[in-house]
Amino acid sequence: MTTVPALALRGLTKRFGATLAVDGIDLDIPAGSFYGVVGPNGAGKTTTLSMATGLLEPDAGTVTVLGADLWAAPESAKPLLGVLPDGLHTFDRLTGAELISYAGRLRGLDRDTVRARRDDLLAALDLEQAGQVLVMDYSAGMTKKVGLACALVHAPRVLVLDEPFEAVDPVSAGAIRRILAAFVDSGGTVVMSSHVMALVERLCDHVAVVGGGRVLAAGTLGDVRGGGDLEERFVELVGDVRDQRDLTWLRQS
Amino acid sequence: MVATVVAIRLATMRHLLRRDWWRAVVLGLGALWALAMLPSVLIARSALAGQDAGIRADAMVALVAVLTLGWVTVPLVISGLDNSLEPARFRSLGVSARTIMPGLLVAAFLTLPALFLALLLAALGSVWLQDGGGVLAVATVGLALMLASMILAARVSAAWAGRLLSSRRAKLATAAAMAVGVAAMAPIALVLFRDGLSDVVAEDIALVLERLADTPLGAGAAAPGAAAEGDWLGALWRLALQAGWVLALLTVWQQNVARSLVAPVGRGGGARRHHDRVLDPARSAGAPRDAAAAAVYARLARAWTSDPRYLASLAGVLLLPVTFFALVMPVFDLDRRWAYVVPLMLAATIGWGRHNDVAFDSSALWLDIVSGRLGGAVMRGRLAAVAGWALPLVIVACLGTLAWTGRWHDAPGLVGASVGVLGVSLGVAAVSAVLLPYRAPAPGASPFGAEVGAVGAGLAAQLVSSIAAMSLVPFVVLPFVLALTVATAWGWVACLAGIVAGVAAYAGGLRLAGSLYDRRSGRLLAAIA
Repeated sequence: MTTVPALALRGLTKRFGATLAVDGIDLDIPAGSFYGVVGPNGAGKTTTLSMATGLLEPDAGTVTVLGADLWAAPESAKPLLGVLPDGLHTFDRLTGAELISYAGRLRGLDRDTVRARRDDLLAALDLEQAGQVLVMDYSAGMTKKVGLACALVHAPRVLVLDEPFEAVDPVSAGAIRRILAAFVDSGGTVVMSSHVMALVERLCDHVAVVGGGRVLAAGTLGDVRGGGDLEERFVELVGDVRDQRDLTWLRQS
Repeated sequence: MVATVVAIRLATMRHLLRRDWWRAVVLGLGALWALAMLPSVLIARSALAGQDAGIRADAMVALVAVLTLGWVTVPLVISGLDNSLEPARFRSLGVSARTIMPGLLVAAFLTLPALFLALLLAALGSVWLQDGGGVLAVATVGLALMLASMILAARVSAAWAGRLLSSRRAKLATAAAMAVGVAAMAPIALVLFRDGLSDVVAEDIALVLERLADTPLGAGAAAPGAAAEGDWLGALWRLALQAGWVLALLTVWQQNVARSLVAPVGRGGGARRHHDRVLDPARSAGAPRDAAAAAVYARLARAWTSDPRYLASLAGVLLLPVTFFALVMPVFDLDRRWAYVVPLMLAATIGWGRHNDVAFDSSALWLDIVSGRLGGAVMRGRLAAVAGWALPLVIVACLGTLAWTGRWHDAPGLVGASVGVLGVSLGVAAVSAVLLPYRAPAPGASPFGAEVGAVGAGLAAQLVSSIAAMSLVPFVVLPFVLALTVATAWGWVACLAGIVAGVAAYAGGLRLAGSLYDRRSGRLLAAIA
């Protein structure tokens, strides 16, 4: 049972014009793990996650979700996935409640189930007041939260979240952490990208460091960071800022 | 600051040209078209030179009035304004409207259409040289002011229309604009139908031109005529009037720019909706049954009543049919039966107008894509949301036309053909929307701004989808034409054939679009976002 990875990427490659954004990524995400994907800006994290969730067709390579081939048999792989992308629009003419219902109905859930889960999610993510407001009036953090609710509504087995804590306030972040931790405890798998090393160290049991479109290191948190902390290891792997120039003109006195 | 803003404009242009070769082709075609128009401009100029001052001024006023109308309405109908200098883009820079206005102003004059217009007016205005240097000076100032009036009016109309449509009264405003548009056409049509073109030209037009010459729509063009006749005072106050108008437009535009520098566009104003219309939709006849398609239908139904971009295309569908009915028919003195073109044209316009439907979702499309293999359901919901209002509208247009012609025995054929055209054009549009999507204005952006990089790809998609629709439509319309020209009995054939073909094309287009959607789902997001 546990031998089938929740998400397996094999030779995933994507080229945009002259740039090779993702360069043959192989990654196994074990079922039941809380997996952090970290990497510098432009490392190809979002591109990789887009290909792993059906949003972007890879030039080469395969993606399997609990053994189901995502690109060859999306009808069996996509229901297993819950997805929260980063930096994309939402259907902003719907209210928060309607957006969650929309996601639930797209997944084929019946009305009563959707109604119950919608109300649960709005309460759990502290969106009850905002449920009747159009998403276009939401703050960035609220949009993230309602996006997460959409990813959860069909009770997926694998969650793929791109920067789920970005712009979210500490109280809501705590609620999201609890939801995700309980989800992993019950046997679910979470894959999450983040720039915040402390958050990844706190939440994740596995981590992959991505840079230049490749996997630089991957494994359990302990294996990857060795003796030190994750941030040091990260800088060591991807390299520090090349020109550590002093901005003397920025000094106030 | 002027140099900076203009440099941004030119640099954007240069980068785009380097990235997409077809953009250079489009630009080249535009320049070629302008060059091809040059001989006709020169012919017009020499024709004008042979006339006396009064006629010359009248001709210029007429030309300028038509051009102004075009500059004000065209950006609203075919989202044409390049948005690389959308004032909202300067929001994060903390500059004031006063600082960037000169730059925006200069950049507004540095577009291909504006340059061509300047050339045209300069060529035609130079005929006043034969009346002496003073008159030429008046003509130069007057026409320069006219040019500024047109270009500024285009900006103001787009800014206002955009603001109106994103306000909470958007629905009312759309309805009002459609009503006013039809109402404005009605008296013109009435007079044309009553008196015929030649009488109207002989009597009414002269009067209209005389009036226009005293308004900002033509004063600048009429000023040199007055000067040539020795009425220097008349020339002077017309120039002053025109200059005042330019100033007024400039102030209004600056206010709009200042507003968009601080006001976030596309906000709902905190409106609350207590009913979950996705889960518990209001009952409607054509709504799909299955969960996913019904959800998409509910979402699109909301968009069609509140999203400025959809409302703008809703208001746009009437333009062509109304123009045909109110202007083309009376001017060419066509037989009443030609009015049957109106519902057919309406159906084709509605259908073809949806050829980029999917792109209107912008990157929000991700939710539809990750939720499964839903191409069929998504397209079914989308098309049903259009057909939900389009079919009744087309039927009403049919009945209205029949009431006008009084030939009710043409009804079956007309209804059949119109339904057929609607079905065929919607079917073609559905396939095109999945196969050839191009970037549409993003949610919350001005519905009249063309997304940078969309014009050329849009052109290709528009061309292909219109050719596809036009090659299929004749098959549907042919029996109806036979009913009108050969024997009335063909009407029932047209009715049956139209409805069968319409439904078949709608269903077939939907099926094909659905399976294409599934096959291309990994490429759609990249193509439109």
